[in-house]
Amino acid sequence: MLENIPILSLLLLFPLVGALVTFFVKDQKKAKITALVFSAIPLILSLLMLTEYVQNYGPYQFEETYSWIGSLGIQYMLGVDGISVPMVFLSTLLVFLAIIFSWDIDHRTNQYMALLLVLELGVLGVFMSLDYFLFYIFWEVVLIPMYFLISVWGGPRKSYAAIKFFIYTHIASLVMLLGIFALYFEAGSYNGGNYSFSMEVINSVSPMFGATFQAIVFGALFFGFAVKMPMFPFHTWLPDAHVEAPTAGSVLLAGLLLKMGSYGIIRVAFPALPSGAQDWQWVMVVLAIASIVYGAVMCLAQKDLKKMVAYSSISHMGIVLLGFATFTEIGIAAGVFQMFSHGLITAVLFMMCGIMQHKAGTRNIPRLGGLAAKMPYAAAFMMIGFMASLGLPGMVGFVAEFSVFTATYDAFGWLLLIPVISVAITAAYYIWAMQRVLFGPVTTEIDTAHLHDVNWYEALPLAVLCGFIVLFGMFPQLIMGYITPAIEGIVTLLGVI
Amino acid sequence: MDYSAIYPELILALFAIAIPAIGMVVKNSKYLAAISLTGIGLSMLAVFLFFYNGTGPIEFDTGLLVLDNFSALFMMIFLCVAFVVVLASGKFIENEKHVPEYYCLVLLATVGMLLVASAQDLFVLYLGIEITSMSSYALVAFRKKDLRGSEAATKYFIFGGFSSAFTLFGISLIYGLTGVTSFTEVGAAVAGLTDMKEMLWVALVMVIVGFGFKVAMVPFHSWAPDVYDGAPTTITAMLAAGSKKMGLVAMFKFFLIALLAIKADWEIVVAVLAILTMTVGNLAALNQTSIKRMLAYSSIAQAGYILIAIAVGTEFALTGGIFHIMTHAFMKGGAFIIVATLATVAIGDRIVEYKGLAKRSAILAFAMTIMLFSLAGIPPLAGFDSKVVLFSSAIYGATDGSEWMIWLAIAGIINSAISLYYYARVVKYMYVDELEEGEKSEKLKLPTSMLAAIIICVVAVIGIGVWPEPFIEFCKDAAAAFF
Repeated sequence: MLENIPILSLLLLFPLVGALVTFFVKDQKKAKITALVFSAIPLILSLLMLTEYVQNYGPYQFEETYSWIGSLGIQYMLGVDGISVPMVFLSTLLVFLAIIFSWDIDHRTNQYMALLLVLELGVLGVFMSLDYFLFYIFWEVVLIPMYFLISVWGGPRKSYAAIKFFIYTHIASLVMLLGIFALYFEAGSYNGGNYSFSMEVINSVSPMFGATFQAIVFGALFFGFAVKMPMFPFHTWLPDAHVEAPTAGSVLLAGLLLKMGSYGIIRVAFPALPSGAQDWQWVMVVLAIASIVYGAVMCLAQKDLKKMVAYSSISHMGIVLLGFATFTEIGIAAGVFQMFSHGLITAVLFMMCGIMQHKAGTRNIPRLGGLAAKMPYAAAFMMIGFMASLGLPGMVGFVAEFSVFTATYDAFGWLLLIPVISVAITAAYYIWAMQRVLFGPVTTEIDTAHLHDVNWYEALPLAVLCGFIVLFGMFPQLIMGYITPAIEGIVTLLGVI
Repeated sequence: MDYSAIYPELILALFAIAIPAIGMVVKNSKYLAAISLTGIGLSMLAVFLFFYNGTGPIEFDTGLLVLDNFSALFMMIFLCVAFVVVLASGKFIENEKHVPEYYCLVLLATVGMLLVASAQDLFVLYLGIEITSMSSYALVAFRKKDLRGSEAATKYFIFGGFSSAFTLFGISLIYGLTGVTSFTEVGAAVAGLTDMKEMLWVALVMVIVGFGFKVAMVPFHSWAPDVYDGAPTTITAMLAAGSKKMGLVAMFKFFLIALLAIKADWEIVVAVLAILTMTVGNLAALNQTSIKRMLAYSSIAQAGYILIAIAVGTEFALTGGIFHIMTHAFMKGGAFIIVATLATVAIGDRIVEYKGLAKRSAILAFAMTIMLFSLAGIPPLAGFDSKVVLFSSAIYGATDGSEWMIWLAIAGIINSAISLYYYARVVKYMYVDELEEGEKSEKLKLPTSMLAAIIICVVAVIGIGVWPEPFIEFCKDAAAAFF
């Protein structure tokens, strides 16, 4: 049925058109509805894609290729495999839900909604590009809407946070661009002067690249991706950006933008530079464990609920990298699954932070208390989110983290203890934070008499996300079925099996 | 002699001479602008016909001027700049004195640029440079009563005079050593030169200093911010987008044809100067409070990027250099014209005055954002594409024995990252900062002709950005014709 429809291009087209249309809708209510419709269409398309995608068949599906800048070997080339399909679904879902969640935005609404759609365009482009140049363009497109989202609708220190985010990630992506150029020229010389940015063309000759070349270029690419993920010690932009960003911005930043970094490692760095990846394996392991520990420890020190969630993101993205660095099929697949699961969970957590700020007027944990009695629904969502995040069995986070740790034990043995213990520490702190915020005596620090429970536009996205958290926790195969076959190729290339 | 090689120059010169005469009768700035635009349009048509006929290079008086893919492309760029500048000037200078002279000088300056584009001879090149320079000195001083303008013009004149003297001294040394003046013959003679090499180095230093002033290369750049700041803003647009690029074209011819044989002697020097120029330009731009000065320093930085093309010196690098000159003409020209347009509605050139501009004029704020992001090299805008070609040529050129060229690309990329900060700051003022009570917030009424000029630039920047293929091909052909 979908054979003749360029489904991937349509996935890009609707957010783009939607952004333009929304921008010119001056009426607030209409702008929201327009944006909602234009984000619903990609969601439907991505659901169609999920059903039409043939698992276990070929590397890329729904491919589209058009020559774009022929003289430089650049093409408009899209395609998805088992790694990108879950990410595309996640992107369309989160943007759709973020737009619903932002229903109470009343300041420059049309611009806000348009920026969310531009962000969707960029993120989807990153997850679907099969050409390094195109990949880079979408990668950069993402920066601009996020910059504005933080700097216009952000908190008190928004200017500082926005420019810091912009500069950090821009420098990182330029270093990555250098790496991509190096790949382009090196691959061209192996292809007899036939220069191309196509991932397939470059990856087909990548095992022949010299060892030194691979090590250097992998370093450049890894730097670019590690800043985006972000890995310790390149993470400092993240807490600032999160604390200042509006809720929908935080949801998409943690849910999608961080995933671009880890997606880049698996889509670009590993296949293009397999031996470089092996040279850097221990650096990746050390940085991953450092991020897990550091993120967890920093969580302990936070009084601001949102900052705590931000640091937990660093910790959880460390688990993704740890999975990748095992170079085993189960480890990498679990890392990808962790990307997906963290996207769902972190969205719930940031939405809860937004609700606390909005309803209670503060996110400061010591000032909150006993809110479960006043806001039972919010409390329920918050508990599901926290439990999922700390890895309660039966929820999506558990499956992902458990598989990563299994693979880590296979690959590195008792080194596993360090991340596992630190995750246990976070779990304790999460429960303590939850206890303080939700249970115990009702706080007197804030005015609790007029505290309302969640509104419909807040409850709906949270309910959908919590539903998916449980669903994919119970049936991880629904997503793993896509991921696992796509990993085989990468693992073979790494030559570890 | 085949006069069809110099039709573009002839047409433009005719109009330049006619305009003061017409100006005796027609005083209205808009009509004079329309007449100038006709001249520029006809000149463009002549260039276009060259491309269209595809006859190959046409020489005028063997060894003096040539109309080939290289010169025709640059003529097109310079004519586009002139077109946009004149289009914006119609309104910008309508209340000034000496309006006919203004258009005459703009056209004459353009004639000089066209001559430089097609020159094949050291002295024709020098002649072209001087025609443009003399016209620009007067244009910078156009507002005689304006103290800053007069100061800028004096400074420009003195620095320009010095740099011309240096260039001329270098040229005469080269002539003394080789006995010829055509670039290709000089190139051959330099390659065969055995003794007196020291004199050649002296000539080289003189030429670098002379052109260094013209293109505002660090450490010869100090005049540029003052002059760009003091000149009428439309003229600033012409200086940045046109006459400075003319200096770069002259440098291409000098270094990559006449002095190519001794490239090993100068490539490191040019490379170091390129890196210095971009770094100093960007760092100085960071804390400017005047948008004109900020854009002036950004121009210095951009010249640094283009110098990469000379240091690398391959056909690919030249393609990148030409492409960046092309895109820079639109984005920097466009940016200055936006500044000029805002000046007509009493928004001055301090960056803080751009606060809340998005509310007051959505189209100008959007256009400025496009220009600035393109200058910073954000995809998918034209500036990104041309930087990609330029920087990647440095990586490609970095082969055995010239690995250092990779540092040109790295420096360029780091500089692009730095530059984003000051460009984004302006965008922040326009979009993010809210107007407070009591600040002017009414919608701006903007002159149509200036808007038209801006829209041309926006369309070019986005168009080239999204569909660069044909433009890269043009630049490739031009670079091929050059070598």
